[in-house]
Amino acid sequence: MTVGTHTGSIRRLLIANRGEIAVRIMRACRELAIETVAVYSDADVDAPHVRAADRAVHLGAAPARDSYLDGAKVIAAAQASGADAVHPGYGFLSERAHFAKACEDARLVFVGPPSASLERMGSKIGARRLMVEAGVPVVPGEAPADQADASFTAAIERIGFPALIKPSAGGGGIGMKIVRTAAETVDALAAARREAKASFGDSTLYVERLIERPRHVEIQVFADSHGNVVHLFERECSAQRRHQKTVEESPCPALSATVRQAMGRAAIAAARAVDYRNAGTCEFLLEGDGDSARFYFLEMNTRLQVEHPVTECVVGVDLVHAQLAVAAGAPLPFTQESLSQRGHAIECRIYAEDPAQGFIPQAGPILLYREPQGPGIRVDSGVAAGSIVSVHYDPMLAKLIVWAGSREGARQRALAALREFVVLGIRTNIPFMIQLLQHEQFVAATIDTGFLDREGVAIAAATVQELPAAALAAVAEHRRLGSRVSAGTPGTPGSDPFLTLGGWRG
Amino acid sequence: MADPSVTAIGAGWYLVDDGERRWRVAVAGEGDTQWVFVDGQVETIEAPKPGRRRARSTDPGVMSPMPATVVAIHVAPGQTVAEGETLIVLEAMKMELPIRAPRAGVVKTVACAKGDLVQPGVNLLEFE
Repeated sequence: MTVGTHTGSIRRLLIANRGEIAVRIMRACRELAIETVAVYSDADVDAPHVRAADRAVHLGAAPARDSYLDGAKVIAAAQASGADAVHPGYGFLSERAHFAKACEDARLVFVGPPSASLERMGSKIGARRLMVEAGVPVVPGEAPADQADASFTAAIERIGFPALIKPSAGGGGIGMKIVRTAAETVDALAAARREAKASFGDSTLYVERLIERPRHVEIQVFADSHGNVVHLFERECSAQRRHQKTVEESPCPALSATVRQAMGRAAIAAARAVDYRNAGTCEFLLEGDGDSARFYFLEMNTRLQVEHPVTECVVGVDLVHAQLAVAAGAPLPFTQESLSQRGHAIECRIYAEDPAQGFIPQAGPILLYREPQGPGIRVDSGVAAGSIVSVHYDPMLAKLIVWAGSREGARQRALAALREFVVLGIRTNIPFMIQLLQHEQFVAATIDTGFLDREGVAIAAATVQELPAAALAAVAEHRRLGSRVSAGTPGTPGSDPFLTLGGWRG
Repeated sequence: MADPSVTAIGAGWYLVDDGERRWRVAVAGEGDTQWVFVDGQVETIEAPKPGRRRARSTDPGVMSPMPATVVAIHVAPGQTVAEGETLIVLEAMKMELPIRAPRAGVVKTVACAKGDLVQPGVNLLEFE
């Protein structure tokens, strides 16, 4: 092992992911003088994460199961490129115990928890049982062993309506179905099984009582292989649409110091119960606010989260650096006593979707792209001008993260940054975010997890506005210049006779 | 208001002065459709197309709004369906997307199969 950095045993890291998270991990590697290996599918040959890496290995066809989800191909790529470690990012193979085990067997450092911890937390059913034993409060629920429709129907009768059907593997809201009446149960089970099978390769389900109008508050934890476990406070993630998070922030305005401490202790207990190592997140539902609020353990995500930058901003740590140090066997670079929250951070997930058309995901080329800049503004992105957004992967293009001294300061900064964030060629949720951040309930910080499902359509409708005449004048000039260029360029189609000044229509 | 002055200030960027204030506007796209950005607002602007008829007399049928994979087909030719009934379930970007009947009617043909990758603007199913 070389001396020098605390990540000395990791010299070349393969990043088994794509998009913004792969780019973000590679940035940390450059800072730590670790060489990077990208992997890519047919759809990502020219993707930013491939260009950002020192080496790149082709995995296979565009569908994830033929590329980013094919653990054997990823391990072969790591061995062929001489990597000594693998960072799975989030999604894809990040929470698959068999992949972590395969890395261990191939003598590759898996930048994540031991496969044994993944096995225990990866099954949400098993995790629930463990949490009950560890004294962590959980939502009432059942996991029928035979997985039969009739057993679920009976379980839901006992738990009570409304109930929430969830896949045992995976996360991100995929495959989750709310059942409000007995008649909906069978269809919901079928849809949940299909989505779970397609996304996680495992159709095992469980069911819980749905706590109405809760907040989603999660605690970041971190454990090393020397017995140290700390928490890095909370993230408030209640702004979700169909269980997909859209805006996250920290601190959570509804959390009192007492409840924050209790949740931190519960999260540490949860991590210790599975001999955890790595960055992890304990997700809780929060009922009520202030000192009387109650919290229930939802699940533990055994990976780096999409919204980890919110914690990095408020706590002043680099979670990927810490992951690499811990994976290399070093102790945690921080102690519980050294950690505190400072200021307020907000993250907006930028999705390729059309809020005005029912949030339908968008695919196609990005014609023009420019990220906002300035004090307290961070953008983690996996696209650039010329990128083609593919139908094969998650529609998240980028994350805008802002930090300011207060929540209101962060809200204003996020709004100003969103108004400077240019993505042309496909629709995104940026205009929707601008409306959401100005909504009176966002301003008042009273959003629960059902808010966007109730109000999302109305907020989306508010994005449809008349364009200022200035915008139309710019389009007319663009057309005039464009037609002049193409008319003067041999071999290209002639100028469009309809692209004349004043020919636009609002 | 006087005609605004427009100055190109970089690839796709324009500074527009409408006499009252200045706007920084981004425009992209060639041909009939332009994308325009101003202050966080994004719109597409279509060039007028004289000589192309707008109305189409044929039944629009049922189309996918985006490239997607067919995961389930709930109807067969000859079947009577009610308005709003789920006909086909598509999956795109990890989300299920139910395609519902735009009106009550009888299914004439089903033009896709489970597992197909379907493109937008192509009929998945026709009504009689």
